[in-house]
Amino acid sequence: MAESPVDVLLKGSSGRSARGLLRIIILVTIAAAAVSSRLFSVIRFESIIHEFDPWFNFRATKYLVQNGFYDFWDWFDDRTWHPLGRVTGGTLYPGLMVTSGVIYHVLRFLTLPVDIRNICVLLAPGFSGLTAFAMYLLTNEMSSSPSAGLLAAAFMGITPGYISRSVAGSYDNEAIAIFLLVFTFFLWIKAVKNGSIMWGALAALFYGYMVSAWGGYVFITNLIPLHVFVLLCMGRYSSRLYISYTTWYALGTLASMQIPFVGFLPIRNSDHMSALGVFGLLQLVAFAEFVRSFIPGKQFQRLLTASIILTTGLAFAGLVVLSMSGVIAPWSGRFYSLWDTGYAKIHIPIIASVSEHQPTAWPSFFFDLNFLIWLFPAGVYICFRDLKDEHVFVIIYAVLASYFAGVMVRLMLTLTPIVCVAAALVLSYILDTYLKTSPGPVTRGRSNDESSEGLRSARSPEVGITSYFSKAVTTSAAIVYLLLFVAHCTWVTSNAYSSPSVVLASRMPDGSQFIIDDYREAYYWLRQNTPANSKIMSWWDYGYQIGGMADRPTLVDNNTWNNTHIATVGKAMSSREEVSYPILRQHDVDYVLVVFGGLLGYSGDDINKFLWMVRIAEGIWPDQVKERDFFTPRGEYRVDDQATPTMRNSLMYKMSYHNFNKLFPMGQATDRVRGAKLPAEGPQLSTLEEAFTSENWIIRIYKVKDLDNLGRDHSNAVAFDRGNKRKKASKKKGPRVLRSE
Amino acid sequence: MRWFPSLLLFGFLAAVNALSSSGNRLLVVLEDAAEKGLYSTLWGDLESRGYNLIFESPKSEQLSLFELGERAYDHVLLLPPKSKGFGPSLSPKNLVDFLNSDGNVLLALSGKSTTPSAISSLLLEFDLHLSTDRSSIAVDHFNYDTLSASEKHDILLLERPGKVRPDTKAFFSGEGVIAVPSASPHTLGDNSLLAPILRAPTTAYSYNPKEDAGAVEDVFATGSQLALASAMQARNSARFTLLGSVESLQDKWFSATVQAPGGKEVETANREFAKQLTGWTFKETGVLKVGKIEHHLAKGDLTPEDLNPSIYRIKNETVFSIEISEYNYDGYVPFEIPANDNLQLEFTMLSPFHRLNLAPTAKTPNSTIFSTQFTVPDQHGIFSFRVNYKRPFLTSIEEKHEVTVRHYAHNEYPRSWKITGGWVWIAGLWSVIAGFLAFVVVWLYSEPATAAKAKSKKTQ
Repeated sequence: MAESPVDVLLKGSSGRSARGLLRIIILVTIAAAAVSSRLFSVIRFESIIHEFDPWFNFRATKYLVQNGFYDFWDWFDDRTWHPLGRVTGGTLYPGLMVTSGVIYHVLRFLTLPVDIRNICVLLAPGFSGLTAFAMYLLTNEMSSSPSAGLLAAAFMGITPGYISRSVAGSYDNEAIAIFLLVFTFFLWIKAVKNGSIMWGALAALFYGYMVSAWGGYVFITNLIPLHVFVLLCMGRYSSRLYISYTTWYALGTLASMQIPFVGFLPIRNSDHMSALGVFGLLQLVAFAEFVRSFIPGKQFQRLLTASIILTTGLAFAGLVVLSMSGVIAPWSGRFYSLWDTGYAKIHIPIIASVSEHQPTAWPSFFFDLNFLIWLFPAGVYICFRDLKDEHVFVIIYAVLASYFAGVMVRLMLTLTPIVCVAAALVLSYILDTYLKTSPGPVTRGRSNDESSEGLRSARSPEVGITSYFSKAVTTSAAIVYLLLFVAHCTWVTSNAYSSPSVVLASRMPDGSQFIIDDYREAYYWLRQNTPANSKIMSWWDYGYQIGGMADRPTLVDNNTWNNTHIATVGKAMSSREEVSYPILRQHDVDYVLVVFGGLLGYSGDDINKFLWMVRIAEGIWPDQVKERDFFTPRGEYRVDDQATPTMRNSLMYKMSYHNFNKLFPMGQATDRVRGAKLPAEGPQLSTLEEAFTSENWIIRIYKVKDLDNLGRDHSNAVAFDRGNKRKKASKKKGPRVLRSE
Repeated sequence: MRWFPSLLLFGFLAAVNALSSSGNRLLVVLEDAAEKGLYSTLWGDLESRGYNLIFESPKSEQLSLFELGERAYDHVLLLPPKSKGFGPSLSPKNLVDFLNSDGNVLLALSGKSTTPSAISSLLLEFDLHLSTDRSSIAVDHFNYDTLSASEKHDILLLERPGKVRPDTKAFFSGEGVIAVPSASPHTLGDNSLLAPILRAPTTAYSYNPKEDAGAVEDVFATGSQLALASAMQARNSARFTLLGSVESLQDKWFSATVQAPGGKEVETANREFAKQLTGWTFKETGVLKVGKIEHHLAKGDLTPEDLNPSIYRIKNETVFSIEISEYNYDGYVPFEIPANDNLQLEFTMLSPFHRLNLAPTAKTPNSTIFSTQFTVPDQHGIFSFRVNYKRPFLTSIEEKHEVTVRHYAHNEYPRSWKITGGWVWIAGLWSVIAGFLAFVVVWLYSEPATAAKAKSKKTQ
């Protein structure tokens, strides 16, 4: 290979700059691939914000752009959580909105007026290019092989585990947070390696940015102290560690406390205590090191033991006292559910009801990471072989992240970077071993790259890869895997992760695409046909979309900060009309929106989510709403004529199936999601009236009737309107009720 | 200036006709045209009060309460039908629709004929109950007219009614006795929109003269549970009045001389009562109108922009005022709250945080301005100013004005140095900074020269 004419370019001093140029070109290409593979959804559908949370972020960004930063900070949002309102400016992570706001203003300053929507749509792909670059830097710190970084960057650019949260239009906190996560880790590794205040401060700065962008910053807050702690336990205390950690902790904590939503959490919340503890421990260790240089060994041992026992006891007692007295906030439910996957199901239905919080299914690891997942353990093993400070970091990260990814689907996102690092380490090791003319051990070759070349013949018998055949087989196998990986990533991205979920696509029998646009149809109906201040009640999943697309106040939304309020909506949905109506009146509800998939066979509808509403309502009113009443005596959840009376009288059931049987010939009404034949007699609604039903019946909107003008019950009023004569109040048993003024 | 005379004329017409606060087209449904003469004084009185009377038979083809979807009349006076009902154009459904679109109805019944079941079922919708046979009359052996009904005791003599509750206004009170001949009594259900105008005396009972039985066994109702005239005011303030005795409106009883057992001969006050009854039903009295509603921060110099802001901050001092006038036969006068009653303001989010009495603070020629001042509660959210004033015989006031109450903005808290309790911490902070700086200075400039080299290596 040395004879190859290309090698002339890649060798010597001219080779170095040529390689530098190549590296830049490759990185730019990777970034371009990362961006372009995320544009499927824009090309397939349109430049539209996806899913649920992004709609809130988009709305908040528009508010920021229109009203400026300070108004955004003090924003009291009276169009959500009616009538409680939400102190939005103080309860969100502003990093994402501020980033797009800054981009928007910079572009305008450069006289490039770009619509804020397009900035929001394309922010995630743009940042994925930066993530690939950050990945290159991080991996380069782990290995001397020049290919590892590039491979990691390429993996990160196209792996579906990351694409799932960063396609164009997926304008969520994770869009920028993953870049910040990777870059903060790179800066931290750099700081630990160099023991430099500058890198430590930079790490703290980006940590602060990360805190402002995503609640997942807690991962960094715990991972870095853990890294330090493990290093301390391994006896690797050094002034480098001391300098980098104290710099990072002091500055990073201060930076994170500047975010109103975080505030004093870093010194009060248990989730942050490990960072504080390690900070204290580091001081003690540093002091012990200092004392050791003055005191002879034996006395020092005794002193050390005594002081360790003393400080541990004191710290533990302090922690217990502070936790008991409430100074340190108790562990949050989300935290418990990280350790006990059954916890949420029992105690906090609202957390369990989010599909992202479900434990991960095994196939999804392969689905999201493809062949990286089986290279991953090998990469961790390679880290054990070197085991420098930064490799310890990779190992800890790998262990923690794989556990968390197994517990919660959404944490697959934090696992992805380290999988890319580990897989790149392995693959570059393999390729280096098999492709390079010097097949010597990488560790040795690292220090003296040039001189090892002359010793090739002396070493080759030990390593034994001289055979062109084995070289060819191995490399071509690797290349096949890489190609399969690219194909898989493209396929997954295009098929699984590029649907906006606001617009649904399905195939007609003849194979042509059929766009189901009921959501937007209904939201725009609300926007154009209802007063600007009419309150919409729906299950919380749709709160952000109603706020963003229909621009109407909602009762509950995806920011599930008030469980009681959500339970109130759940109760209104799951109770009889007579119970629900006062709740609707009290909350000024004008319209109720339900999602119904029975006609089309759309399974993500409200009847399927109904049990969560019941469960959440039952959590607050256990004696009024009972989950058991919604199941038949045989324990089945049915909607047909076998359904329980509670089920059939619930507002949700009535709203879903109102007039549904009129679509079908007599007695033929069938729910295509649940495959159930419905009773011939449809449910009767009296307190609500149908206002709108979308084309495919996915969204149904009902108007809440006013109190009856003549003071009757709604059921009586409806019966009168239908022409039924009221039965004379037949002689009741017991004494006559007398009227008194 | 050609338009000026016509404007004058228009103003004049308006002044003459604007007797009722809600229009003057009055439909009188009368089955037998020959009976029209029996009520001539009533028709005269109504016309003199500015009503435009239109007489129609319920059988008439062109009779319709609505024309092109709009009300064709403002008020309807229904005299009891002779046949089985009022016919298709006055079906219960149409009458309910008429009420729902702000029309007023006065329905008079008579004990002399059986009330049609259609009317009975309409009344059931309002929670007014007739006796099951629908042809009972009210009889009282202690308060009857000895001159004309010495045998049957079916012409009741009643005092003019007073207040229905101590906190309401009396719209039907006055001197004199009312004669109620052969009244078809009814009872009131629990509907809160109902109010009795005229109750039977405590000794009255309901009796079906067609039944032969000398003794009454299963009495429909007795005493003051029986009402002879009742009012229902719908939520949109449309009024429906049920009068049990149409005969009491006849000329004959407008100026009859009656005598209660053991009493003196007196002139009846039916004419005055009929004026009050029709006046109330057709919205000449007891009509409240809300004028300006203003709320603003309590401060001295108010600009128009300060009025009715859509957002307040917690703990703001706020003033709320509402202007209310009352219609009294020929025009709006300032509304006076009845004694024992209060007009109240609620500041509500899910439940009231404040419930305050509104005090009259100013008066204009035809309205009173009530206002109050309060501190916005320490709770952010979407609140509403609510005035919910519903009293029998007064049109209901239900005002709801939504405002947002926001939290303190970041720059509205007092600065740290203004909080005396924080001085300790501020002093601590600055002393640490000063101490650190001093330490650095000492460290940099008092280092022993000999150890300099070794130290600098180590710290790196």
